[in-house]
Amino acid sequence: MLQNEIRTQKLVIGIFSILLTVVLIIIAGVEAKRTTETKPVIEVSGINKRCVSCHTERGIAVKAIDQWKESQHAIKNIGCIDCHKAEQGDFDAFYCPDSDILVGKHPTPKDCAECHKQQVEEFAQSKHAHQFWVIKNDDRSIFEPTIATRNGCEQCHNISIVWPDQSVGECDACHPKHTFSRAVARQPETCGECHIGPDHPHIEIYLESKHGNIFRAKEKQMDLSYSSKDLKKIPIEVPTCTTCHMDGNETQPSTHNVSARLAWESQAAWSYRTVWLQDKLGDWKVKRGRMESICKSCHSPDFVEVYFLTADLVNLQYNEIRRSFVYWVKKLQKNGLIKELEANGKKYSDIVLNGWDEEPEYLMYHAWHHEGRRFRHGAIMMGADYTQWHGIWELQNDLVELIRWAAERGDPEAKKWVNSTHPSKFMPYAIYDIPGNAWGINALSNKVQFLYVNYKDYWDRVYQNVKYAYEKGLLSEEQWQLWLKRYNNKEHYLGTKYNVDSVYAYYQQLNAIDTKAMNEQVVNMQLPGKPFYEPGFGFMVEDNKAKSKDMVRRKEELNNNRQGTTTGGSVK
Amino acid sequence: MNQMQEKKFSERLPIDFKKIAEVILNEPIPGHMKNWFYALGATPLVLFIFQVVTGILLTFYYVPSPDLAYQSVKYITEEVRLGFWIRGLHRWGSNLMVIAIFLHMVRVFFTRAYRKPRELNWILGILMLITTLGLCFTGYSLIYNQLSYWATTVGTNMIKEIPIFGSLFLRFLRGGETVGVNTLTRFFDLHIGLLPTTLFVLIILHIVLVRVHGVSRLEGYEDDEIYRFYPEHMYHVAVIALFLLTVMSALTVVLPPGVGEPADPSTTPLHIKPEWYFYWIYFLLKYLPIKLGIALILVALIVATFWPFIEDILKKKFPKVKWHYIVGSVAIVLLLIFTVYETIIY
Repeated sequence: MLQNEIRTQKLVIGIFSILLTVVLIIIAGVEAKRTTETKPVIEVSGINKRCVSCHTERGIAVKAIDQWKESQHAIKNIGCIDCHKAEQGDFDAFYCPDSDILVGKHPTPKDCAECHKQQVEEFAQSKHAHQFWVIKNDDRSIFEPTIATRNGCEQCHNISIVWPDQSVGECDACHPKHTFSRAVARQPETCGECHIGPDHPHIEIYLESKHGNIFRAKEKQMDLSYSSKDLKKIPIEVPTCTTCHMDGNETQPSTHNVSARLAWESQAAWSYRTVWLQDKLGDWKVKRGRMESICKSCHSPDFVEVYFLTADLVNLQYNEIRRSFVYWVKKLQKNGLIKELEANGKKYSDIVLNGWDEEPEYLMYHAWHHEGRRFRHGAIMMGADYTQWHGIWELQNDLVELIRWAAERGDPEAKKWVNSTHPSKFMPYAIYDIPGNAWGINALSNKVQFLYVNYKDYWDRVYQNVKYAYEKGLLSEEQWQLWLKRYNNKEHYLGTKYNVDSVYAYYQQLNAIDTKAMNEQVVNMQLPGKPFYEPGFGFMVEDNKAKSKDMVRRKEELNNNRQGTTTGGSVK
Repeated sequence: MNQMQEKKFSERLPIDFKKIAEVILNEPIPGHMKNWFYALGATPLVLFIFQVVTGILLTFYYVPSPDLAYQSVKYITEEVRLGFWIRGLHRWGSNLMVIAIFLHMVRVFFTRAYRKPRELNWILGILMLITTLGLCFTGYSLIYNQLSYWATTVGTNMIKEIPIFGSLFLRFLRGGETVGVNTLTRFFDLHIGLLPTTLFVLIILHIVLVRVHGVSRLEGYEDDEIYRFYPEHMYHVAVIALFLLTVMSALTVVLPPGVGEPADPSTTPLHIKPEWYFYWIYFLLKYLPIKLGIALILVALIVATFWPFIEDILKKKFPKVKWHYIVGSVAIVLLLIFTVYETIIY
């Protein structure tokens, strides 16, 4: 009896011990395995399960499902029908052909707003949502066939699409479906899908800036998928486009209103201070303040303020250059040298905007829409090459072209300009300037400029212009004070009060050696073998004429023979 | 030490170490303990020592702040030399410790080793089980990744359901409305301070009681053979220790503990679960009305703690029924079913 009892005991203890050990270690193992999984488990249920299994089975938009599985939506159990839901009568409602599910073909911002209300509202109040291109594109529609518009203008400007349900915008222009990834939206190339090319090369400007350069070098170490809500520190080392224009930092909330931090309408034909939704967003100074708060996450306040003041003066300078273009085109028009397009009493090449059939209009269009923007945007976003070679250089070039065109057609003022040999002729407009730049004091570079050297009242004239701009509200009080601080101590900021002659002399010596080498190697050299062209070339001597005729004849014969072989000799 | 030195030494420290060693090492052990399943009491102790050693090593690098906790765990796992091994031993050690305690309990329960006069030691045992689970819970929360953060959240949520003191206790533990910086420092304190000390004291009391009562004999059965604690049983324990070290190392290599995603209090993941040893509680709370679930858990806890006395009462009423077989088997089967179910439906 007792032995039995002991045996039972041993058996029970043995069985349960082994069972517990095996089962619990397996469970602990399964749990340990789960800790190494970084991908969340996606649970598909209800109608979504039907959508996913049927689509997967039939191979329709399977990739979209995979993308969705990568999304935060999937993790949070927001499935197909949550965005694609529809009611009878909706503009995009249709019955899925293989089920009885009513589906919305186009989830619009109205659908997104069910969860992302604030973002959708902010977007709708931004210039991204403003279809000014439609309002103003009647001119373009005569220059380009509309079919080109479908894949051209409309593709980018669809971001401001106005849907039949009255919602505005295209969220997936930046947050691509179906991952709706934050990281993709922050990737500079996402903005660069549209902000690229000759008219607003923003991605190119960004990539040539220090920001873009560091980004490219370190992008693999940066995780762009962070949330920028709740006034958190910017977690990446350098900004991408969204960091400055949309994301938040310690002081600025993030916003989907890309216009909330812009102080210039610098894409427009004239640079003017923004008044966009001023009652809600504040005036340009408030908007600039927002942008500066972001910049000051990384940069010193002085650098930021001087940098922006300089870029603002570039915007103002552009207006003066533009004024010259407008002056000449208007004058040429008034004198009947160029004509506007007209139909049914309506003019089709707006003097300020466009016009393509005559050289001066074309030049003026480019001076605004291409190089004029590059000049200004390069200055605002640290794209030196775009301010310089793709900007001011081409602006100046086109202005010279325009005046020369007028001179060739007999305009006396233009002729006078062409005949002038004075270097100041290239600056037929008023000038803005600032002593020095934001990066440091260059004790050498401001000593030789023609205007600085030859016009003693240069800074007085500039002073008057800057003051005038300030008085007209185009510069803020703080900016004016900052400018004055530099103006009053301009010898310091221009570096002219520092003697660096010895350094200058040293580099001049090096330069002289270079020049000498160039002269010796190339300039003062003449090859002994004569060139083949000689003045008067084109008149053939008789002997050569005969030779030439003979060559032509033989060539023709050869051609005929070749044709004969390929067509089976049926050609006569 | 020669006699002179010994004398000098004992003058200054007048403790009879020889006698103590004799008492400790010469403890007679009944012959049935040569069966491995009867010798599992030392396993949790061995694991506890492992946990202390590996735990101290982990604190060299671990930083208990929300900003750095996850990073430091990641650093230990991915950068520190042999860090993954130490962390693996610690994690697997904790899991095995729970299992080892269960096994020890199975032996004690089915042999009715808790019977008079050893009831108090059973209660100490239950307290040690609770302390160990507390250590597991607080330790898991320190990783501060998504899984552990939300496991801590649901785990502490359970506390709220305790009648009367629940909410107060919850706030005391969390140090705020949600799991955050205060929770982390509190749990760190508990994990490396209060709970290990408590467990240590309980272990000492437990062993002292075992020694005072003598190792229990099988009910109504006198072992023919008696052997000494040292060296036989001591070697037994040493073999267990080496075996555990091997098993834990192997498990660490095959199933290393991951670091997962950093905790994000603003993103609630789709699946939130406590650690597996709490699945049975989680199961009851999930599938029963909350009040009933809490009541059941409390009843289970009370019954488990005072089982030696409860069984006596039951035995008086139904002397023929072998209650310990019934209750023990049902408890184990239910525990396994609930735990396996929760693991599978993850």
